Amino acid sequence: MRLAGKTALVTGGRQGIGRAIVDAFVAEGARVITCGRGQRDDDLPDTIGWQTADVSSNTDIELLKQTVIDQFDRLDILVNNAGVQIEKTVINTTDEDWDTLMGVNAKGVFLSCRTFIPLMSSGASIINIGSISGKVADHGMAIYNASKAFVHGLTRSIAVDHGPAVRCNAICPGWIMTDMADAAFELATDPDQAKSDALARHAAGRFGEPQDIANLAIWLASDDSAFATGQCYTIDGGLTAASPLNPGLF
Amino acid sequence: MSAVKENYLQGRVAVVTGGCGGIGTAICQRFANEGAIVYAADLRSNDETKENIYFQQHDVTSEQSAKDLFARIENEQGKLDILVNAAAIEIEYTIENTSLEDWNRIFAINVTGTFLTSKHALPLLRKSGAASIINFGSYDGYIADPQLAAYCATKGAVHALTKAMACDYGPENIRVNAICPGYVDTPMLQSFFGSSGDIESLQKAVRDVHPLRTYGQPDDIANLVNWLAGDEARYASGQLWIIDGGLSAQVQQMRL
Repeated sequence: MRLAGKTALVTGGRQGIGRAIVDAFVAEGARVITCGRGQRDDDLPDTIGWQTADVSSNTDIELLKQTVIDQFDRLDILVNNAGVQIEKTVINTTDEDWDTLMGVNAKGVFLSCRTFIPLMSSGASIINIGSISGKVADHGMAIYNASKAFVHGLTRSIAVDHGPAVRCNAICPGWIMTDMADAAFELATDPDQAKSDALARHAAGRFGEPQDIANLAIWLASDDSAFATGQCYTIDGGLTAASPLNPGLF
Repeated sequence: MSAVKENYLQGRVAVVTGGCGGIGTAICQRFANEGAIVYAADLRSNDETKENIYFQQHDVTSEQSAKDLFARIENEQGKLDILVNAAAIEIEYTIENTSLEDWNRIFAINVTGTFLTSKHALPLLRKSGAASIINFGSYDGYIADPQLAAYCATKGAVHALTKAMACDYGPENIRVNAICPGYVDTPMLQSFFGSSGDIESLQKAVRDVHPLRTYGQPDDIANLVNWLAGDEARYASGQLWIIDGGLSAQVQQMRL
């Protein structure tokens, strides 16, 4: 029980990486509240708090804040995981796309941090989910890539402005097998070939699992990472350590 | 409270070069606490006898020394799961004041040492099935501290070597990462402070420039090495893990 007695808020905990983090935190003894735009999932255990909320909405963030105040006397861990992905280049991106994506991925993280930092305990940990896409560009995902670079920049600012009371780090996952990654492969002319090519570019020989990310989230949430702040930690099976120009794959 | 399961490294065999130094000692102790069998490989023993930590006299610049080290481990354990390349020195000069002899010496220890030890560890690491190499880079491999030119260059070399090794050996289930510490309270840091007059005000200045208002302790580094060494980090490879109390997240000059 590595997070016994800690309280945590995880945004976007209904599926994928967020759900793996919620389950991992609960398994380690934390009390967890999560949120999402839809209704509470039937298979979410009763012990986990739920608030239907869109993190891009000020009104919804206020509701979420009230839920946190009602259930916790303080907040030890905040995971800003909620995110959306739109697969478009800049010229194909509409104003509506911009508002949707930047609303959740950028404004949502900002609103969440602004709202919850005042509720956080001394020694608290904020974990933002950034992406390797915020450091190196994924093709055809222009504003998604840019939104993750925003998350990385905000992570550093929060660490600098709100340390030593609060630590703030980002996790930058590579290709994690979620519905979001499947959607990206579907864009390819030959999705199966795209998948095997992508696999060959991973030194680890596989794509990531949500649990791989949850493992790092546990470490960053715990006191073992007491000296870690302001960093964007990549966990991608070796993908970005190698040059994208890979002669073996021509 | 620890961030990993109890006995996280039970049954694992680990080698830590520089294992009797400031950070190396903390790593060996943490590994042993987590159930590993640990070989502290260093020039000199720190003469402390601890359960499951074995000293091996080791010069990282000598190929024969690397062969001897892994011959012993093959003989006693038959495999190796974890290699930590922590042996390093620092010399505090600009390039003009760095002699060729000093330059070659720091590269021999910090870079060639990482190469030689890793090279001769590979046959035993292949027998692990879940091996992890952890090199010691530095935040100085990204951004420079004044008058540490050769040291910065060696750490940049270790960063590039880390990525290259991760590419080459990932398919054999050998993960390779580097830890990049900032300011950590070790004899190396104290020697750096020692070169200035007023150690106390210098220490305070260094603390104050960190967002966490402290510099690190060896255990802070051992905590991350420990995580990377074991299976919870099974998807982490080829990365440079800065741990520096927030120092390099900000644009700020050290006024030393």
